[in-house]
Amino acid sequence: MRRALVLGLALLALPLSGSAYLTNLSIVTALHALPAIGLSLLMGYTGQISIGHAAFYGFGAYGTALLALRAGVTPWLGVGLAAAGAAGVAWALGWLIFRLRGHHLAVATLGLGIIFHVGLVELRGWTGGPNGLPGIPPLRLPGLDADTDFRFFPLAWAACLAGAVMAESLIRAPAGLAMRAVRESERAAASLGLDVAALKRRVFVVSAVYAAVAGSLYAHYVGYVSPQPFGVGFSIRLIVMVALGGFAHVWGALLGAAFVTVAGELLQALGPYDTMAFGLALVLVMVLLPGGLPQLVRRLRLVS
Amino acid sequence: MSELLQYLLGGLVVGSIYGLVGIGYTGVYNVTRIVNFAQGDFAMLGAMGAIALFEVGLPLPLAIAAAIAGVGAVGAAVERWAIRPARADEVRGIIVTLGVGALLQGVALTLWGTDAKPMPAFSGDRPLWLGGATIPPQALWVLGTTAVLVLGLHLFFQATYLGKAFRACAVNPYAARLSGIEVRTMTVVSFVLSGGLGAIAGIIVAPIVLAQYDTGIPLGIKGFVACIVGGLGKPTGAAVGGLLVGLLEALAAGLGSSGYKNAIAFVVLLAFLFLRPGGLFGELERAER
Repeated sequence: MRRALVLGLALLALPLSGSAYLTNLSIVTALHALPAIGLSLLMGYTGQISIGHAAFYGFGAYGTALLALRAGVTPWLGVGLAAAGAAGVAWALGWLIFRLRGHHLAVATLGLGIIFHVGLVELRGWTGGPNGLPGIPPLRLPGLDADTDFRFFPLAWAACLAGAVMAESLIRAPAGLAMRAVRESERAAASLGLDVAALKRRVFVVSAVYAAVAGSLYAHYVGYVSPQPFGVGFSIRLIVMVALGGFAHVWGALLGAAFVTVAGELLQALGPYDTMAFGLALVLVMVLLPGGLPQLVRRLRLVS
Repeated sequence: MSELLQYLLGGLVVGSIYGLVGIGYTGVYNVTRIVNFAQGDFAMLGAMGAIALFEVGLPLPLAIAAAIAGVGAVGAAVERWAIRPARADEVRGIIVTLGVGALLQGVALTLWGTDAKPMPAFSGDRPLWLGGATIPPQALWVLGTTAVLVLGLHLFFQATYLGKAFRACAVNPYAARLSGIEVRTMTVVSFVLSGGLGAIAGIIVAPIVLAQYDTGIPLGIKGFVACIVGGLGKPTGAAVGGLLVGLLEALAAGLGSSGYKNAIAFVVLLAFLFLRPGGLFGELERAER
């Protein structure tokens, strides 16, 4: 909690600096960190990989966009309904996919993510196909529209930090201990009387809601959705964020999201070398820093 | 009628491409139980390497041989410096292979840019007529190579000492070491084998599927779907699974809408994962680990 307050206050320096670029970058970071934190609960704490989480992000974005454009639902309600819808989908899918584990689970989630993406492109009547849906109304706060970077900033970070604090309290709760028990050994966890399948399913629902909320905030922030940002590439980037964060580490996932987002901006200067640098960084972190960036921070502290 | 035949032939060609790429997974998987998500990029690297060497002026067979050997060496390097240090944890292992894939794409991108490179077809471009439908001659190369590799690998894994040692490492590395099998060497060899098989697949299909720095991803994913459908670790399974997926895709595209073609493979994949995770020819307990 204290971390969240300190970080929130420190971040206020960004919009106060008056730079629209930095503010925008930090909003994107927050919107990436939220699904990364959710995925860290699933992958890091519970040990279940998903290479399809971009689909839930996309579900949130398209869900709220369609509700606003087709049904005239007010944006706030749309965000809530999209999240509830994602929870329902995750609940139903969880029943199926957690019969699998390891590589098979990875491939099943990858396949589901790709099917969702194909659906976005092909269901032209609903999603507008590759052209997407323009004209999504911004979220309204009492008295003002959250339609500029500076006005959206507090909203994005409030959601992100609230998500981080909630994830932390979940981990400290008995459910969090159960999650880690499942990660260490499913058999041992089951022998203690834990319903392993039900637990995995619940964590999957929670992580889907994190992704969907972030996705719907993204839709109202940008005002336009197209299939492109919700493909396998984004699913993999989310995994990279969680890995950089040291897997089972809520604030690490936020750090990883910030690193991937900022590094993505900086790497663009490298032109064609950026893919290579991205892959190399991923391999190096996995090989040299199994604890991710937080481990690096700790090491540097020990040295100094 | 000839229209249906054309769809079927098209599906056969595409399916054998999936199968050929899928075969490459069996090398690494049968020794380490690792699914190498960079397998498609091995294929891309092989194709791009062969084309580059050919453009420099090497005769085609020599360029192809050099590219296959080169990608095999890349496989050994990947095992030594990326897989071995990170293998202990399954999720980390998966992420490392994803990272290796991105790295290889980046290397191809810096060396050869974003342009798609053409590869000359081995036996000309004139399509063959077959009962009212056409088939490119290169497709026969793909089918033939698939058949030869499937047969060779099947014999290798089932009948040779080295192949049995390979499988022993996967079943129980500890017991394999106790009986005098050098697990570490076998692992390196398996990556060389998968690298070489990937390169062969990439090169043979290059005249049909243009080679580009990012063609590895779709090839690799579809090849992997072929493996799951046929039974992971079985060369025969990969080939048959690939043909099945290719035929279903072609029929769906021909009779329904072509846009959903890309989803078909994954619907088939999910159906197999849930109903028969061992695939057509696999044993079920393999999926359980």
